[in-house]
Amino acid sequence: MDVSSCLRGPSWMVGSKRMRMASNFRWLLSTLILLYLMKQVNSQKKGTPRDFKCKTQNLQVWNCSWKAPPGHDGVYKVCIENRPHSCYQSEKGNVKIPRLPPGDHEITINLSRGLGSSMSKFLLNEKNVYFTPETPEILTLSADFPTSTLHLKWNDKGSVYPHHSDVIWEIKILHKENTEIIKLITHNTTLTGKDTVHHWSWTSDLPLECATHYVGIRCYIDDRHFSGHKQWRSSDSQTKVFPQDKVIPVGSDITFCCVTQEKVLLAQIGQTNCPLIHLDGENVAIKIRNISVSANSGTNVVFTTDDNMFGTVIFAGYPPDIPQKLNCETYDLKEVICTWNPGRSTALVGPRNTSYTLFESFSGKYVRYKRAEVPTNESYQLFFQMLPDQEIYNFTLSALNPLGQSESTILVNITEKVHPHTPTSIKVKDINSTAVILTWHLPGNFAKIKLLCQVEIIKTDLVRELRNVTVKGVENSSYLIAVDKLKPYTRYTFRIRCSSDTFWKWSKWSNEKQYLTTEAIPSKGPDTWREWSSDGKNLIIYWKPLPIHEANGKILSYNVSCSSDEETQSLSEIPDPQHRAEIQLDKNDYIISVVAKNSAGSSPPSKIASMEIPNDDLKIEQAIGMGNGILLTWNYDPNMTCDYVIKWCNSSRSEPCLMDWKKVPSNSSETVIESDQFRPGVRYNFFLYGCKNQGYQLLRSIIGYIEELAPIVAPNFTVEDTSADSILVKWEDIPVEELRGFLRGYLFYFEKGERDTSKMRGLESGRSDIKVKNITDVSQKTLRIADLQGKTSYHLVLRAYTDGGMGPEKSMFVVTKENSVGLIIAILIPVAVAVLVGVVTSVLCYRKREWIKETFYPDIPNPENCKALQFQKSVCEGNSGLKTLEMNPCTPNNVEVLEARSIVPKIEDTEIISPIAEHPEDHLEAEPENHVVVSYCPPVIEEEIPNPGVDEAGGTSQVIYIDVQSMYQPQAKPEEEQENEPVGGAGYKPQMHLPVTSAVEDLAAEDDLDKTAGYRPQADVNTWHLVSPDSPRSTDSNSEIVSFGSPCSINSRQFLIPPRDEDSPKSNGGGWSFTNFFQNKPND
Amino acid sequence: ALQADSSISPLPHLEAKIRQTHSLARLLTKYAEQLLQEYVQHQGDPFGLPGFSPPRLPVAGLSAPAPGHAGLPLPERLRLDAAALDALAPLLDVVRRRQAELNPRAPRLLRHLEDAARQARALGAAVEAVLAALGAEPGGPRPEPAAVAAAASAAAAGVFSAKVLGLRVCGLYGEWVSRAEADLGPLVPGGPT
Repeated sequence: MDVSSCLRGPSWMVGSKRMRMASNFRWLLSTLILLYLMKQVNSQKKGTPRDFKCKTQNLQVWNCSWKAPPGHDGVYKVCIENRPHSCYQSEKGNVKIPRLPPGDHEITINLSRGLGSSMSKFLLNEKNVYFTPETPEILTLSADFPTSTLHLKWNDKGSVYPHHSDVIWEIKILHKENTEIIKLITHNTTLTGKDTVHHWSWTSDLPLECATHYVGIRCYIDDRHFSGHKQWRSSDSQTKVFPQDKVIPVGSDITFCCVTQEKVLLAQIGQTNCPLIHLDGENVAIKIRNISVSANSGTNVVFTTDDNMFGTVIFAGYPPDIPQKLNCETYDLKEVICTWNPGRSTALVGPRNTSYTLFESFSGKYVRYKRAEVPTNESYQLFFQMLPDQEIYNFTLSALNPLGQSESTILVNITEKVHPHTPTSIKVKDINSTAVILTWHLPGNFAKIKLLCQVEIIKTDLVRELRNVTVKGVENSSYLIAVDKLKPYTRYTFRIRCSSDTFWKWSKWSNEKQYLTTEAIPSKGPDTWREWSSDGKNLIIYWKPLPIHEANGKILSYNVSCSSDEETQSLSEIPDPQHRAEIQLDKNDYIISVVAKNSAGSSPPSKIASMEIPNDDLKIEQAIGMGNGILLTWNYDPNMTCDYVIKWCNSSRSEPCLMDWKKVPSNSSETVIESDQFRPGVRYNFFLYGCKNQGYQLLRSIIGYIEELAPIVAPNFTVEDTSADSILVKWEDIPVEELRGFLRGYLFYFEKGERDTSKMRGLESGRSDIKVKNITDVSQKTLRIADLQGKTSYHLVLRAYTDGGMGPEKSMFVVTKENSVGLIIAILIPVAVAVLVGVVTSVLCYRKREWIKETFYPDIPNPENCKALQFQKSVCEGNSGLKTLEMNPCTPNNVEVLEARSIVPKIEDTEIISPIAEHPEDHLEAEPENHVVVSYCPPVIEEEIPNPGVDEAGGTSQVIYIDVQSMYQPQAKPEEEQENEPVGGAGYKPQMHLPVTSAVEDLAAEDDLDKTAGYRPQADVNTWHLVSPDSPRSTDSNSEIVSFGSPCSINSRQFLIPPRDEDSPKSNGGGWSFTNFFQNKPND
Repeated sequence: ALQADSSISPLPHLEAKIRQTHSLARLLTKYAEQLLQEYVQHQGDPFGLPGFSPPRLPVAGLSAPAPGHAGLPLPERLRLDAAALDALAPLLDVVRRRQAELNPRAPRLLRHLEDAARQARALGAAVEAVLAALGAEPGGPRPEPAAVAAAASAAAAGVFSAKVLGLRVCGLYGEWVSRAEADLGPLVPGGPT
């Protein structure tokens, strides 16, 4: 540590105390000065801090600085000697310390540098501190261009300074910044310890639009408590855009200007760019017309330069609307509350929001509305303390905002505008079983008025009653009334609201308070009935519980007594849940008395006679209810002196049955019986008793339903008898419980149908094949269905119905028996017809036998007379393959030649004129179809032989064969068939040639051969063999040459009739045919 | 004393403290972004429009994180973070008061500004606690009341200036909490070095 730094020396700023000490220490002073000078020299050499000085802006904090030795960076530790916690550290050459009390203070500055350090000491006194106030803050500078007036508003920042001080403000107006001062004034104010806004206005001789005006302000604070140097603080206006933060009406026009030395590139309001209006220099302006309403935070106006941005905010809104619905009233006659609706929103909030003042003109007092940001259109309210002995108030509500003001007035007599608070602390206390006392608390001083209160009384059964009560107002807020005419043992709910007796508004209803009134004796005896037991020995007494309004409390027990002229029997203390007692009595007349008891006492007795007067003329009637009850009527009987009683029970219950009873005055002739126990579809028995001379007589017995329903089961039915045309059906009754109504009839459906087919089809579809029988006689239990068909299945369905609807179905399938007579007739009639036809045919045949014989069976010539047909038996028998007919030399007695053309199907064997001589052999071979060879057999045998073909022997014999095929085959044969012809036609051809009809079918088909063969002898041709002359042909299907045997074997003459219809080969079948029977040659 | 960022081997309670502070900084970074968006929404156009960038005016008693901030020793960085966060809290209060006049019917914005001031104080205190736990010297002096008063007077000078100041303060709030998050990151065990 430097020794010299430890020495205390005087500061250059202030004298040392020691210098002012005794003169006898002068020598010592000289020594110290010398040492000080040496220290200074050493400090200069070693780089210690110097020029320590302090200044302040707010008198609270001193900002002390010193000159640091050049090139000596380090950390300074500044300590104030003899003060705790007064060391400060700094890396720079200044430090802020709190204000020190007047007097000298030793300051030590220690500079730490690497491994070394140096220390300096200074004396500090408040007198050496320079006080320069904070820069004055210009809040707004506005110009009133029409009047060329500048308005300056600034904040004195009085809260910063600890003492009340005088302030001198110096304001200057310049045309060119910092050069041309055109106005300089001073303005004196006082600092009050809090921020105060000051105003100053200046009217320019020159119109403000013509030039740029600058305003500068500085202040001098003469703080008497501060002994240091006081200096001026100047501040020029920094605002660049005008006007600043102005509030203007919506729809107005406004001009903004930007005063700048830089070139303005862009001006915009909100997000809209505006054209620039160039003013002096770089100054520009923009003009906004018809400005629209601003948002809460205002409308931003921004001027943009190359590297900066200047702006202002404009607030476009509305002047305050006239306060609407202004109303003043009081809750407690202590305070007036005035409410109003602000009307149209001003769109101005915060400091620009509308302020309200409520002024009372008689008293001259007013209250101001404290700004609260409430949502628009919500009611505002102000409280005004009432003045003693003043009832009439004349209120004026003024609304003010930067754009204007409005007001609304109201004159009220406050005693007529009482809107009490909600009554609280409701209490109930009973007076007796029918009256209570209600007390409540109503805050307020209503001693000068009467209160109209309303008591709402709600009984247990939710019956609501309102009672108005007028009470005198009191100061202590406690009120009391009596409420009477209540029912005993009834739970009431009370609540209260109040108003003034002149009535303005009801208060809100108080909370509800429930209270149960005390008990009273039952007002009536219980409703009583009696029944004799089934054995007739005991009398059962029934009574009903008393309704709450008659019980007047909780019924604890009942007393029952039966008294006659001779005796009295009693049953006491029957507990409440029991409403029935049984007493053994003889048949004497008794008067039964029943009494109900609660904690307050016993009810009057309820009496009933035990005697029952017989009635011989009693009929059972039916009645239908109305869904919820049943109406019973009877004729008025003047003999019934006391009352009527209707009792009822479920008909399915055993006797004595009693569900309930009802007593009806004796002057009534009808009643509606209703009960929660009634159920639809259940049969009930009702008994009407008339009370006569203290005895009851059963007048009517009625069965009925509250509501009829459809049966729930179908009648159980069976088939008793079945015949061929009828069915007898029998069914059973439906039980009453399942009938559920009065039976009105049955519906019987029947139709033909099998079980599997008809059971799925509905019967209600109105089908015509369903027959329906409606049986309305409910006593009928059988039904015979007639006119049915025999041996037929029928579907039977039976269902019952009531007035409540149709019951379910029950179905059955029945098959009728067979009708034997009809069957017999059906057999006999065809047989008889057949016999008759046979007889007639036989007679006709017999009478026409000659014709028939001639037609169908002419006499056949004896072939033995023909020598030409003499076969050598051995040959015929021995060689079946030999088909050549050897002609014996016989002289023909007649020769007929029939010429058949292939294209002319018709043959006229009677007109054969062509002799065989005209047909040479070769010609036959060439045109075989044109040759018709007719067999010759004396005396005359004309045989039509189909397709004679080429016969080798034909050329040499005199026999001519008739081509039968050509007769009946009008179509020319196919060529392929013609090609076969020469083969088939080889050799001998007898009178017939079987294959000729197979014009279409395959010639090789054996069956076809059978079918197409014309002539069929009486025997099966397939069995024929050429074993005898009687075997006329050989039908070897495999043989290419089909030949017949000797024509001598033919002992009948018959055409072989080819099929007329080629498509019906059956009709062309060989053998016997009915058609053949009637066909013959016309010339025969 | 703190020797090197990567050589720190904090005790478990210190680990928890650092992790907690870092989480708070990360959370406040997100909140600061939301606050800035909400603030801009309530200032009207052209605030919030693309391209609107008012000059970054100096704020009394507070500056933006310097470009060379990341190159400073960690204790120095944390000291600067704590000091800035402490300075931000009263500035956010100033902004909130001004916004209460401008946007009294924006309770959400006002609440977020109030929260931001409180959270800035909390984060600043937490960073200082971390510094103390690490054995580093505490931060410098608290921001002067005069600086805050200067900011308050700047905010009161004009509505437009107040809006710009608020925008600047909200932006600085975001920058400093983000800076604090980045500075605390290397201290978090398992975090970036």
